[in-house]
Amino acid sequence: MSLEILKNIQLKDKNQQQSLENAISIGSPSMKHEEWKYTYYNKIFQNPFEVNIDTKNENQKIDAELVPLLQEEKYKLVFVDGQFIAELSYFPQSQKFSFWNNNNVTESDSKDFLLELNNALVSDGVFVEIQDGFIEEENIGIYYIATKPNQIFNLKNKVKIGKNVQVKFSEYFINPNNISTYYNTVSQIDIDKNSIVVWDKIQDGGELYYLTDNTFVKQEKSSVFTINTITVSGNIVRNNLVIDVNGEYAENHMNGLYLLHGQAHCDNRTLVRHNEPNTNSNELYKGILADHATGVFNGKIIVDQKAQKTNAFQSNRNLLLSNDANIYTKPQLEIFADDVKCSHGATSSQIEDSELFYLQARGIGKEMSRSLLTLAFAGEVLDKLSDRNKQFVEDKIFTTLGINI
Amino acid sequence: MLQIKNLHVSIDGREILKGFSLEINKGEIHAIMGPNGTGKSTLGNVLAGKDGYEITSGEILFNGENLLELEAHERAQKGLFLAFQYPVEIPGVSNANFLKAAVNEQRKAMGLEPIAPGEFLKMMREKMELVEMKKDFISRSVNQGFSGGEKKRNEIFQMAMLNPQLAILDETDSGLDIDALRIVANGVNKLHTPENAFIVITHYQRLLDYIVPDFVHVMFDGKIVKTGDKNLALELEAKGYEQFELA
Ligand SMILES: Nc1ncnc2c1ncn2[C@@H]1O[C@H](COP(=O)(O)OP(=O)(O)OP(=O)(O)O)[C@@H](O)[C@H]1O
Ligand SMILES: [Mg+2]
Repeated sequence: MSLEILKNIQLKDKNQQQSLENAISIGSPSMKHEEWKYTYYNKIFQNPFEVNIDTKNENQKIDAELVPLLQEEKYKLVFVDGQFIAELSYFPQSQKFSFWNNNNVTESDSKDFLLELNNALVSDGVFVEIQDGFIEEENIGIYYIATKPNQIFNLKNKVKIGKNVQVKFSEYFINPNNISTYYNTVSQIDIDKNSIVVWDKIQDGGELYYLTDNTFVKQEKSSVFTINTITVSGNIVRNNLVIDVNGEYAENHMNGLYLLHGQAHCDNRTLVRHNEPNTNSNELYKGILADHATGVFNGKIIVDQKAQKTNAFQSNRNLLLSNDANIYTKPQLEIFADDVKCSHGATSSQIEDSELFYLQARGIGKEMSRSLLTLAFAGEVLDKLSDRNKQFVEDKIFTTLGINI
Repeated sequence: MLQIKNLHVSIDGREILKGFSLEINKGEIHAIMGPNGTGKSTLGNVLAGKDGYEITSGEILFNGENLLELEAHERAQKGLFLAFQYPVEIPGVSNANFLKAAVNEQRKAMGLEPIAPGEFLKMMREKMELVEMKKDFISRSVNQGFSGGEKKRNEIFQMAMLNPQLAILDETDSGLDIDALRIVANGVNKLHTPENAFIVITHYQRLLDYIVPDFVHVMFDGKIVKTGDKNLALELEAKGYEQFELA
């Protein structure tokens, strides 16, 4: 099975059909592309995946108990197998949201395979508008729950955040039955002046799960955006994060944690464009790689000529728990302004023998000591998450590493 | 309790311990003194089970059991404790989690249930008082940003939490101010019972005013060259180690 499946599809909507043809003519990313050098994207299409372009399945249901997180969540937008499930969802009543469907797909000419694929085959997605001045402490959860095996799902979200807003979203990519599936998601997040937005991505699809997530953020003046991208499992996971800092005094914090074992492969690609002066970006991605896992980090910061007094810091740190695990890391700075402070750094290390011995000398077994030290390494990023998301990720780490304290 | 018989240990082919023998019984306090580089810390590390040492001959029995066959954590679980000369910093692991893991691993080895959270907190508070630790210390990372003296105190605090049968204090007095020295020594004296034993490695006779040893051993070039009572420490203070160099 290969991309051939795309060629047999005929779409009714002309914008979608155009995007499909664009995707086919661009071709799927190959490892010859600099951007995809370490990630074997076409492996995804070696699976017997089908593209589901049928309209809504009315009987879409899910046993809510499969997803404990969902039950305790107040505000939530729930998608099961690429479809929005109204009965499981609940949104702040004062705020607007609507959906993507075949009627509002727009023209796209992105030159990007994943974006064209998404535009062509989008099955659902939310269009959220948060009004000026809206302040909500409660998390708004966006759930993508996979239950149907061997399907490709394309979801598209657009989130418009007004001025002086404070909100927190979390996206959960979950797969309770551990089926094989491919999700290609696109989110556009526009943040207006003075708003403070926190956005967590919790990706836990299991070893048969493929994910390409594309997130585009635009920030206006004095806005503060924090994004925490946490990958705790997945076969191939690729995160494309692009942030345009378009207003003075805007700042963002990008944190990432990938905890990979088995054959898992996670590729994080971030691009921040500082387009205005007095803007800040702060990036910390940490990776823990066990077994035969592979991590890729590529962080690019572009500082425009007029973006004087920009501060941009970037750091990628990796803990290798096995000799067979690999990390490819490449920070890139392109600075066209002269009065800026920028730094980047990448490290990879192993567990320190002296630390291990210290724990062992207090009666803690070798495995448990390694696990504690691993958790400690992750702590710096985990501490940025809300208690609930932190607990969820910590539990995952405990299970993966077999810790019990 | 502990018998070390004619122990020879090398690091990277270089012999460090050259026929070291020592016997320790319940209730005893042994002081080991000796110049820099004679192998005192090596002895402590070998007892605690650190990797990287080649035991070329000799034997160590702990309560009749061959210590050298046990892993480091098993030795600790059986009641052996090493207070490190240079305690390492462990960023990201809080003292509370660290000690809880240690206490529970020890309990598990003894067939006991994990300690109840309330009981654990109470025990922490009690033992912290013993060494006059600051309160914020519980939530801080193990030894991270601790002053030299605080690190040493933390070693004694951990010892108090784990209540070992045999504790080896490797220069726990170095870097302590007079008050801290007294606190640490008091801690040790309070923990000392007829059932446990201590090996106190030190360069200073001063410590032995507070912790009164039953035996003082002089270690020189990888083995014990002289054993006496606490007066031997005074004599060393006066005469130094030169006398042994000639021997
Ligand atoms: N890991 C190692 N690799 C190589 N040599 C070592 C190592 N550890 C110790 N040594 C050497 O072994 C000898 C004994 O060291 P040790 O630390 O046991 O001495 P010590 O008696 O504790 O000294 P001090 O009083 O300074 O603490 C020294 O010459 C030291 O350099
Ligand atoms: Mg020493």
